[in-house]
Amino acid sequence: MRVYILRRLLQIIPTVLMITLVVFVMMRSIPGDPVVALLGDAYTEENAIKVRHEYGLDRPILVQYVIWLGKLVQGDWGASILSGRPVLKDVLARLPVTLELIALSMVVALAIAIPAAIIGALRQNTWADYAATSIAMFGVSVPEFFLGVLLLLVFSVGLGGLLPSSGWVYLPGTCQTVVCAAGLWGNTQHVLMPAVALGVGRAALLTRLLRASMLEVIRTEYVTTARAKGLGERPVVLKHALKNALIPTVTVMGLQVGFLIGGAIVVETLFAMPGLGTFGIDAIIARDYQQVQGFALVTALAFVVINLIVDLTYTFLDPRIRYA
Amino acid sequence: MRTRRYLPTLGSALIALAALLAMLPMAAEGQAPKRGGILKVAYGNEILGMDFYTTPGYEMAWVAMNVGCGLVSITPEGKFIPDAAESWQASPDGLLFTFKLKKNVLFHDGSKVDAAAVKFTFDFVLDPANRSNMRQFLGAVHSVEVVDPLTVQIRLKQPYAFLMHVLAVYRMGMIIISPAVTQKYSPEDRRAGKPEALVGCGPFKLVEWAKGTHLVMDRFDKYFEPGLPYVDRVVIRTIKDPVTQMAAFKAGEIDFIADLSADHVDTMRAQSPRAQVMSGKETTPMVAMMKVTVPADGKPMSKDRAPHPIFSDIRVRKAVACYGMDRKEIVKIAYKGAATPWAGIIPPGTMDTVDVNHVCPYDPAKAKALLAEAGWGPQKPLTFELMTNTEKSVFNVIATVIKEQMARIGVTANIKLVDKTTWLVTSTQDGVFDMFVEDLASLLTVDQNSYLSASTAAWNHSRHTDTKIDDFYARYAREMDPAKRKAIAKEFQEYSVDKLYWNTISGSPFYQVAQPWMKDYVYQAEFKVVYKKVWLDK
Repeated sequence: MRVYILRRLLQIIPTVLMITLVVFVMMRSIPGDPVVALLGDAYTEENAIKVRHEYGLDRPILVQYVIWLGKLVQGDWGASILSGRPVLKDVLARLPVTLELIALSMVVALAIAIPAAIIGALRQNTWADYAATSIAMFGVSVPEFFLGVLLLLVFSVGLGGLLPSSGWVYLPGTCQTVVCAAGLWGNTQHVLMPAVALGVGRAALLTRLLRASMLEVIRTEYVTTARAKGLGERPVVLKHALKNALIPTVTVMGLQVGFLIGGAIVVETLFAMPGLGTFGIDAIIARDYQQVQGFALVTALAFVVINLIVDLTYTFLDPRIRYA
Repeated sequence: MRTRRYLPTLGSALIALAALLAMLPMAAEGQAPKRGGILKVAYGNEILGMDFYTTPGYEMAWVAMNVGCGLVSITPEGKFIPDAAESWQASPDGLLFTFKLKKNVLFHDGSKVDAAAVKFTFDFVLDPANRSNMRQFLGAVHSVEVVDPLTVQIRLKQPYAFLMHVLAVYRMGMIIISPAVTQKYSPEDRRAGKPEALVGCGPFKLVEWAKGTHLVMDRFDKYFEPGLPYVDRVVIRTIKDPVTQMAAFKAGEIDFIADLSADHVDTMRAQSPRAQVMSGKETTPMVAMMKVTVPADGKPMSKDRAPHPIFSDIRVRKAVACYGMDRKEIVKIAYKGAATPWAGIIPPGTMDTVDVNHVCPYDPAKAKALLAEAGWGPQKPLTFELMTNTEKSVFNVIATVIKEQMARIGVTANIKLVDKTTWLVTSTQDGVFDMFVEDLASLLTVDQNSYLSASTAAWNHSRHTDTKIDDFYARYAREMDPAKRKAIAKEFQEYSVDKLYWNTISGSPFYQVAQPWMKDYVYQAEFKVVYKKVWLDK
C-alpha cells in the first residue's frame, strides 16, 4: 500500500509538469499581451520593450518556463504581472473558498443522486423511476449559470433576501485577509446557492450512473443470498448493494473534480465569490501569465491528489481490492 | 352639537398633519448629515493594480480619488474648487501658475503636505522612468518650483488652456504623493496595494486590497476638511455579473453601484423603484472604428505605412460609416433610445462639442453609389471583418445591427467576437482589423482625446497619418480665449467627420445607482467618484 501511494505521488510530478508546460506554452501562443494592459495609456514601444525585458518576456518560451520552474522549486510562485501581488499568497487566500464549494457541491450531488438512484433501481419502470430519471435529465440539461440565476432570483430577490446574493463569509479560521467576515452560519448561507447550482448537474450524472450500477448489483447472487438470510431490505440495499454499486460512481466522482473546477469559474463569477475560479478566469482574460500558471498548478495538483484519494477509497468500498 | 364644535378643530388638525407630512421630504433634504456606518460599493470590473500613476482603468482611479488629494478639484458644473490648495493664480501670459497650499493638509502617516511634496509629485510623474500615464498630459510643463513651504509654482513652456483640468480631473487628477513613502517603497509594493506604500492625503486611508475580492478604506480622522468624511469605512466589492449586482442591491447588501451597464437600467428601475439611478451628459463615445493604414513592412507599429485595403479609401469610409449606418436605428435597438445618435469625434456631452450629424444622414442609395464609384458592387462585393468583444453585451448588439445595415447596401460584415485583452492588443498595437465596436475613454474636454486620435498617439486606433488633426489639437490646447477655442473645436469636428478617421455612432450613457438612504453623493460620471460627503440615512 505504501509503495503504491509513493508511486502514485511520484507520478504526480510528471503529470503536473506536463500540464503546467502545456498551459505555459498555450498562454503565450494565444493573442494578447499583459504588457499592453500593464502600461495602459502610458504604452509606448520603448516602455513595452523595457517591461518585457524586466519580466523576462523577451526570452524564449522554454527558457521562461525553466526559470519559472526553478523559482517554483524554491517556493517562489512569482508575482502577478498586473498587480505585482505574490501569486502563492493570493492562491492560498482563495483556495479554501473553492475547496469548500467543490466539496459541498459534491455533497449536494450525492444527497440527490443516492436516494434518486436507489428509488430508480428498486422501483424500476415505475413512476418513481421515471421521475428520478427525468429529474436527472433536467439536471444534466440545465447549465450552472442558468440555475444560479434562477436561485438568485428566487432566494435573494423573490423571497426578500432569504439568502445573500453574493460575496463570502469565511469558515472560522480560514480567512487570510485583514478585513473579512467569518462565521459558520454566515458561511452556510453564502455557500448554499453556489453549491446547489454547481452540484445539481453532477447529481444528475451520478444518479444515472448509480442507478445503472444498482440495477446490476441488486440482481447479483450475494444480494439474493443476503435477502435469503432474512436480512431486512434496508441493510441489503445500503450495506450490500449500494456499497458495491458505488465503486464506478466514485471513479467518476474523482474525474468530475475537473468539471467542478470549470463550473466553479462560472458559479464563483455569478455569486461574486473570492475563489480560485474567479482568480483563474481573471488571469486568463488579462493574460497575467504568472497568475495563470499558479491557477494551473494548483488545479492540476488538486485534480491528481483528489483522484489519488478516490483510488484509495476503493479499498474501503471493496476489501478485496489490494494495491501492490 | 359637540361633534359640530370639534369638527373645525379636527379639520385643522388634519390639515396641519397633511402639511407636516408634505414637509417631511423637505426636512429630509435639509437633514444634517449623520456620522458613521459602512458604505458598501460594487464595482463591475476588477481593480487591476493600485499604483495611482501607472495602473490603468477607472476602478483604481476611483479609489485614488478617495485616498489621495490634489491641488484642486472640479464641480459638476466645471468650476475649479480648492482641494489641498487654498488659492491659485495664473500670470497674465498664462505661463506661470502659483498655488498656495492649506496649512492643515496631512498625509495619512501624519507628515505634512507641503510645496516640496507637490514638486516631488510633478517630478515623479514627469520622469519617463516612472512610466506615469499622466505624463502625456503634462507636456506643456517646463518646471515646478518651491517658493516657500506652502507656495508652489508651475511654469509652462507654452500656454496650455487645460492645465487646471489636468490637475483636477484628467484620469484621477494630480494626486499628491508622499516623497518619503514613495522613495521607501517599490513600484511593485504600490501596484500590489500595500497600504503602507499608498499613503495619501485624501479623506480615506487604504486598509486592504484583496485583488478581485474587496478593497477597504477607513475614515482619515485628520482629513483637512473639518467633519469629513462622514462614513467610517468604505468597502468596495467586485461583482461582475449585473444580475448579481441588482440582486445584491435589492437585498440591501450594497449601497452603491459605481457603474451599472446601460442595458440593465430598466430592470433595475423596475426591481428597485426607490433606487437613485443617476446619469448625465454622454461624455463617452461609442465608436465603429475603421483602420485607415497598415504597416507597409508587416511589422505592427511601423512608421512605414501603407493604405488599408478597404478603408483607406474615403469613399468607402463614407459609404459604410457615414451614409450606410443608421445611427438612430442602432441607438433604438442597442440602447432602447436612451443614447444620442452622434457622428462627431467629440461625444455629445463633452465641452465644445458640435453636432455634425447632418453631414452623415442615413442614405443607403448614396452609400451604394459611393461604393460603386470606389469599385465595389455586385461584381466585386465588399466584405470586411467587424471585431467586437465580450466586455459589454451592447457592443455585440451594435455589431449585429451594423451587420444588418451593411447587408442593406450590399456589404458583408463578418462579426469576430474576441475577449477584451485581444481587442485591446489588436486595436492599440496596430494589429490586423478592419473595424471594431467599442466605447472609448470618457472625455471632459476635446484636448483629452488627443492621446487616442492624434496621428502620433500611441493609441491612435485607426493609424491615420493626417498631421492636420495634430495641429487642431495643438491649436485648441494653446488657445486661451474660450470663444476662439470653441471655433477651433468646431472646425476640427467638421474636418474630422469629413475625413472619418474616427467614426462615432452615439454617446455611451453612464449610470450609477444608489440606495435611497445614501445621501449627498455628487454624480460626476466617470470623472469623479468621491465618497467624502456621502452619509447613510439608515
